[in-house]
Amino acid sequence: MIKELPPGLALQKVDERIMTLNVGPQHPGSGHMRIIVQIDGDFIVACDPDPGYVHRGEEKMAEYRNYITNIPHLERPVIHDSCNVLYPYVLGVEELLGIEVPERAKYIRVIASELNRCVYTMYWLAIYGIFLGHSTMFMWPAGDRELLIDLLEKMTGARVTHSHFVPGGVRNDLPPNFEDVCLRQVNYFEKRIKEYAAIFYDNPILIARTANTGVLSREDAIRLGTTGSVLRASGVDYDLRKKEPYDVYEELDFQTNVLKEGDSYARSKIPWLDMMESCRIIRHALQKMPKSGSVRVKLKPNPKGGDDSVYKRVESGRGSLGCYIVSDKKPEPYRVKLSVGSFRNLIALPYLLKGEKLGNMPSVYWSLNYWPVEADR
Amino acid sequence: MSVIAPNFKFSEFVKSILDNAFWMLLIFVLIGLPAVFIALFYIEMPVIDGQLLTPFLALTWLADPSRTIPILKAFMSTDLFKIAAFPGFGFAALIAAGTIFVERKMLAKLQLRVGPFYCGKFEGILQLMGDGLKLISKEIIIPAKADKPIFWAAPILFVATAAAFVALIPVAPGWVVADVDVGLIAVFAIIGFFPIITILSAWSSNSKFPFIGGIRALHQMVSFEIPLILSLLGVVILTGTLNLSEIVVSQSNFPWIIFLPIGAIIFFITILAELERIPFDLPEAESEIVAGWLTEFSGMIYGLVQLGTYLKLYAFAALFVVLFLGGWTGPMIWPPFPEDIITNGITIGPITAKIPGLPIFSQEMLNGVLWFVIKTVGVIFFILLPRGVFPRIRIDMLLSLGWYKLIGLAFVNIFIALGLLYAGVLGPGGILQ
Amino acid sequence: MSLDSDNELVETISDEQSSITTNPTPVKEIELPKFEKGLADKIVEKFGSRTKVAFVKSNRVRINVSRDDVKEVAEFLRDVLNFDHAESVSGVDYPQDKEIEVVYHLGSYTDSSLSSQILVLATRAQREENPIPGNDSTKLPSLREIFYSVEFHEREVFEMFGVYFQGHPDNRRLLLPEDWADLPPLRKDFAIKGR
Repeated sequence: MIKELPPGLALQKVDERIMTLNVGPQHPGSGHMRIIVQIDGDFIVACDPDPGYVHRGEEKMAEYRNYITNIPHLERPVIHDSCNVLYPYVLGVEELLGIEVPERAKYIRVIASELNRCVYTMYWLAIYGIFLGHSTMFMWPAGDRELLIDLLEKMTGARVTHSHFVPGGVRNDLPPNFEDVCLRQVNYFEKRIKEYAAIFYDNPILIARTANTGVLSREDAIRLGTTGSVLRASGVDYDLRKKEPYDVYEELDFQTNVLKEGDSYARSKIPWLDMMESCRIIRHALQKMPKSGSVRVKLKPNPKGGDDSVYKRVESGRGSLGCYIVSDKKPEPYRVKLSVGSFRNLIALPYLLKGEKLGNMPSVYWSLNYWPVEADR
Repeated sequence: MSVIAPNFKFSEFVKSILDNAFWMLLIFVLIGLPAVFIALFYIEMPVIDGQLLTPFLALTWLADPSRTIPILKAFMSTDLFKIAAFPGFGFAALIAAGTIFVERKMLAKLQLRVGPFYCGKFEGILQLMGDGLKLISKEIIIPAKADKPIFWAAPILFVATAAAFVALIPVAPGWVVADVDVGLIAVFAIIGFFPIITILSAWSSNSKFPFIGGIRALHQMVSFEIPLILSLLGVVILTGTLNLSEIVVSQSNFPWIIFLPIGAIIFFITILAELERIPFDLPEAESEIVAGWLTEFSGMIYGLVQLGTYLKLYAFAALFVVLFLGGWTGPMIWPPFPEDIITNGITIGPITAKIPGLPIFSQEMLNGVLWFVIKTVGVIFFILLPRGVFPRIRIDMLLSLGWYKLIGLAFVNIFIALGLLYAGVLGPGGILQ
Repeated sequence: MSLDSDNELVETISDEQSSITTNPTPVKEIELPKFEKGLADKIVEKFGSRTKVAFVKSNRVRINVSRDDVKEVAEFLRDVLNFDHAESVSGVDYPQDKEIEVVYHLGSYTDSSLSSQILVLATRAQREENPIPGNDSTKLPSLREIFYSVEFHEREVFEMFGVYFQGHPDNRRLLLPEDWADLPPLRKDFAIKGR
């Protein structure tokens, strides 16, 4: 056993001009993490993100539970996006066990995951609004989000932690009359989010404040391995729903949103544009979905995987979300690794904040589409 | 069975009440009455109907309550009443409390929620009182390394300065605490205190976030005070006086906002910045520096600072009304006091009460106060509105707005005023007066 | 296709298992996807027997290399095959082999033909029974100079498995508490209480 402190705890000797600020974990602008910021006047000279305050050892826990009982706890990293977090794991287990999913279940999964992406993005947007001091932009998305949560509640029975996707399909079929309700709610939701342009995205103060701050160039976005909205805001057209379509995404009609600027404003606009695409996907999927049929293949109790490893990834609300599963012919996975978008985008934070003004810290930080709980897992 | 008092006996309850009454009476007679008489010995008593008011005469109030009216009038002409109650602190605090309530409800409606709802049965009208009680009952935590005397003094100084500002505002003709000839200069002097108090409190708390907030507040207030002062010079040029009451009188025909709209706009923007309201709430920017210079305040210290902030809000809105919207001037809409009551008295069944000394307030004064309050509330509404619409701006944008744009515009405003003066349209001997 | 009876599925699973069982050499019997096969061939052509192609599946190619060659292979993957970022770095503990495997999942944003491909680069470090993270023989060369994006992932693997990455500029704790003095938690000999 080692007792000596790791080098990170050694006291640093710093210049007297430089003030070290501990932003978080108890800070209204940090979430469950700490950002150690060194400022010289109003400028940030160095930034050291310190995640891990909500590390729950999901990956370790997954090694002790079998493939099915892993489902409820593996969706905990982002409960607002629980369908998408679970998606790669379920896809991976299906490949390991060699299960073919019914067509209707695939459509239900796509609808659920798109609804969930919107739910997550609304929550993210609400916090982005309050980080910029725009309290109306906190309340409106937080309220409109309820529409979709109600839909998901009808669909899955739970408001946030759905546990709806299982290897072999989805847990339950849709309730009767769901299609009409869903169409109506989604149409209203789309009308609402279009109104956000007037109060938030076209607001001159917001544009003046976030445009040209925290600029991530195309080359750096690729080099740092960022993903999701951060990558697409920097001009890289990379959306896994298009590039590596899973389930029925290749049959659906949608487009990816790419902006070239790479600043905080573009990064915050991409998820909003994505929500409109999600509404389109949901409408199209409702139209194309088989009206009846099985939604789940039955599994043998305690299924065992082969001696194999799979790496599956989906496009979640925060970007590519990969799940690496190693199995060793036992009912429990030998190793489960979630490669999450938040953790991958975190590397851009010290890079972007260096030389920024302190006032830009919340907008740059939150525009990275970072969810602290997901990064810690 | 009552759980609160399981051994309740009615006879003991009555006995305890009688006991309490006896001791209270005894203490009042032995200590209270002598104290009142000693106090009355030193106070100059008013003369009513040619009689000096003595304690024995005062007892006749019981028989004829209308005798209190002259005392009331005498009291209202004292400085104490003016400072504590009507044009001063009490009135301002009442409007400030109303402002907080309206702000919460209005913002809630804007954001599709209900706001304060349960406290006080009707639309959460007692929410503010509840919050006040909560703040009073909370522990006051002083940081260990704080400079304690200054840390304690800062909130009190803040409220005192805000109250001093309120004292200069004329509410109705003759109703002003301090009717000084250098009124506007005094206003500038008092505004100049706020950044000092802010930086003192921020520095004395010996903490990083308050310090950054205090420095931001200092930058913001200093850079916006200059356009604030310059924007008001136009009014001074046209009226030729610094006395706020005379400025109001000069607007009896038309308010200055018609001729100096640029000055009014600049003054409004600087008000927002001086009050640290969104979009200029950088010193309290929550997501960056927790609560800015208020971070270490807790309990009623925080409550005092909030009270001072809303007093300041009222004072600035009132200053806007006085300088640009014509203060108390406006058409007479207050109904006149019924002559019938003065001549014939009030007849209630067989009794006819003739009350001398009515009316207490003149019709002009009440009308002036009404107009003043209507205009002030309107201005306050527009000060509150940006909170629901705008995000916060950044310190460099704020400083460039203050130093480059607003100061330039303020000079344009001064030139407009000078042009009007020298063209002979306005000012002493002008066409319009 | 929907399967209704349990028995059918069980059979399907067992069939699938036999076919996807990983062999150390590429399986020749089943038809391999062409593009992925081409990728694997290019690597084998360059490095010969120093790399082992573990499997070639659709969109996934896995190669195992020894810890001395990992840097060279990674540079080849970046410069010649256009893989430009690492999606994830995962450690897998194999106590019975006395080895800890570190798996890099590499992807490409710049090359559109590679956008659905993931190249799995696996290497193994020596495992110690009584680890002293950073000061024992569990060491690997860091790939941070080649793929900048592995920086935080390698920090995570260091604290979770005790694999020290030589040449990494910032081998500090990331997720664990600063005073963590137990075994690296994702090793198999770190047991959860009550399990």
